Amino acid sequence: MLKGLGNIVVKEVKEMARDPRILLGMILAPLIIFPLMGFMFRTSTEAVQESLRTMSIGVANFDHDGSAAQNLTAYLQSYGNVRLQNMTAPSVSEIAALAQESNVTAVIIIPEGFSKSINENQSGQLQIYGVFRGGGIAGSAGFSVVQSMINSYIRELTLQTVKQEFPQNPDFVLNPVNVTQGSVVQSKPVDVAPTTLFSIVQTQFIGLPLAMFMLIILAMQLAATSVAAEKEEKTLETLMSLPLNRFTLLIGKLAGSTIIAAIGAVATIVGVIYYIGSFTFGGPAQASVDLSAIGLTPSPIGYVILGVSVFMSLLCALAVAVVVSVFAEDVRGAQSLLGFVYTPLVLPMFVLMFADINTLPFALRIFLLALPFTHPVLASQAMMIGDYLTPVLGIVYVAAFTLVIMYAASRIFATEKILTMRIRLGRKKTVQD
Amino acid sequence: MDQAIEAKALVKLYGKIKALDKLTFKVDQSEIYGLIGPNGAGKTTALRIFSTLILPTSGSAVIFGHDVVREAVEVRRLIGYLPGEAGAYKNLSGYEYLQFMGKFSSENRESLNRTVEDAAKISGLGERLKDRVKTYSTGMKRRLLVARALMNRPKLAVLDEPTSGLDVLHAYHVRGIIKQYAKDYGVTVLLSSHNMLEVEHICDKVGLINKGRIVAEGTPAELKAAHNAANLEDVFAEVAGLA
Repeated sequence: MLKGLGNIVVKEVKEMARDPRILLGMILAPLIIFPLMGFMFRTSTEAVQESLRTMSIGVANFDHDGSAAQNLTAYLQSYGNVRLQNMTAPSVSEIAALAQESNVTAVIIIPEGFSKSINENQSGQLQIYGVFRGGGIAGSAGFSVVQSMINSYIRELTLQTVKQEFPQNPDFVLNPVNVTQGSVVQSKPVDVAPTTLFSIVQTQFIGLPLAMFMLIILAMQLAATSVAAEKEEKTLETLMSLPLNRFTLLIGKLAGSTIIAAIGAVATIVGVIYYIGSFTFGGPAQASVDLSAIGLTPSPIGYVILGVSVFMSLLCALAVAVVVSVFAEDVRGAQSLLGFVYTPLVLPMFVLMFADINTLPFALRIFLLALPFTHPVLASQAMMIGDYLTPVLGIVYVAAFTLVIMYAASRIFATEKILTMRIRLGRKKTVQD
Repeated sequence: MDQAIEAKALVKLYGKIKALDKLTFKVDQSEIYGLIGPNGAGKTTALRIFSTLILPTSGSAVIFGHDVVREAVEVRRLIGYLPGEAGAYKNLSGYEYLQFMGKFSSENRESLNRTVEDAAKISGLGERLKDRVKTYSTGMKRRLLVARALMNRPKLAVLDEPTSGLDVLHAYHVRGIIKQYAKDYGVTVLLSSHNMLEVEHICDKVGLINKGRIVAEGTPAELKAAHNAANLEDVFAEVAGLA
């Protein structure tokens, strides 16, 4: 029944892989653009880090002989990467002008009486002005560092004050209650804070919907282009007159598109991984939590079920694309028609990346469940908590949905409709001689 | 079974438009039959029905004893079809294109090699077969496609406007191929054309089609004699009521 399938698949792959639009747009561009973006981000991040290594802070001290003011400047100087610049001027306006001309990140103004207030157990006043030199990350990061230095100084001052009243246990006053956080995973307690756990799981499992989204879009474009190009290039009639089963032709087109889409998706994911790998600056050290140890990774069977779920959705997407492209006159028309399909079919799965389906309104829940592309995302979430029934039911539903679409596609391929059907956007359906 | 094609009262409706109106004619085996007529006469529709691409609304068409509707798969094994507006895969080389097409009718590698070699000779494209199709001129592309339609030595070659859009040299080459191939291998040819002189030159028998039905039929000499005309163009003008 599938005689000639290999021949069709090889032809499809050759044709698509040699098409400069596909080769450049879907395979080479992601491999170049994402790493390039990552390189640029990393270079600018390194430049910021470099600038923080030799940070200058202006100090305008109006509390000349005050002990607390001297302590503060000594504390700031204890940071090895900070160079303090004394700024002497009679008013804040003149200090601001001096700061703008110099290379300081911020100016700390210590008013007269600062030390006296502190020594008398009154709140002392400090003013910090960040020097704005454009909207770059360097300025913001620099000011954050100055802020944390001051906060650290305040904590140190608090500790010294508390020590005078509670010499035995000053930490008790600062932290009268210590809280430890944990999570319950699959009915078991785990010593990982929920926020940390959510953050890790989201980081790790956001990859699947993202890869799915890219794979589905790429595959749909390719499958639709593959059918529409046969019409545009006037090769379809010849192909349909050959002793070749029409179902084989359909499967061959789906398989060819899947192979190229998979290569394109791998190229994109490799590019994205490199890009994401560039965001190391200031990131939390999350890799230390072992998800498998706390039962948050699927079993080998779980991975197989997840793979089947993804594959079924992909097959469904391809069948939808082929049916849609049958109505198009050329490649451009097919892409336009496909645009109408993307939004209702693919975008809702992004809802599930941010919301739990059980918390959504009933109507929205039913709508999402009716869409074949939401099921792999649901499957990936269910797998984490060891729920295999949800993915299996999803696979059965998507398989049934796909069979209906495939049947429609093969019926169209088996009749003259594939040659005669036309939809021109904005015009009525016509039949061509 | 002497008939390669037997069309009986073929009707094809596209909505309210009647493309074929009880079209009836026969083509003998090893005959080159020319279907000629103006644009919209129904030539392409008839050829598409014989090639199993579209279904007749009513009537029947039988190719070497096989009904085009009920035995479409059998019919496809017997024919080589060249559409009027045909293209080839532009990112494949001419040689790869012939190989791809040849594999559908070849039983093994040996027969595939012979088929592709045959096609290469028919096309006359020589070394250019190694180049991608997108670098070919219209004439070269048409020669490749004609070679494709004839490469597997079909029992029936259905050629829709085989020399359409070609210059004198390419058209001459293609006409020569068709005539020679039919003679060498006993292939039956059904071709359509606007070019009356071309048809007169290569066809054994001619059917004049107008408004979806045959209005006159015979050898070019018979038709000219019957209508006392100097050429087929004059014959057509007379039977179509244009003269």
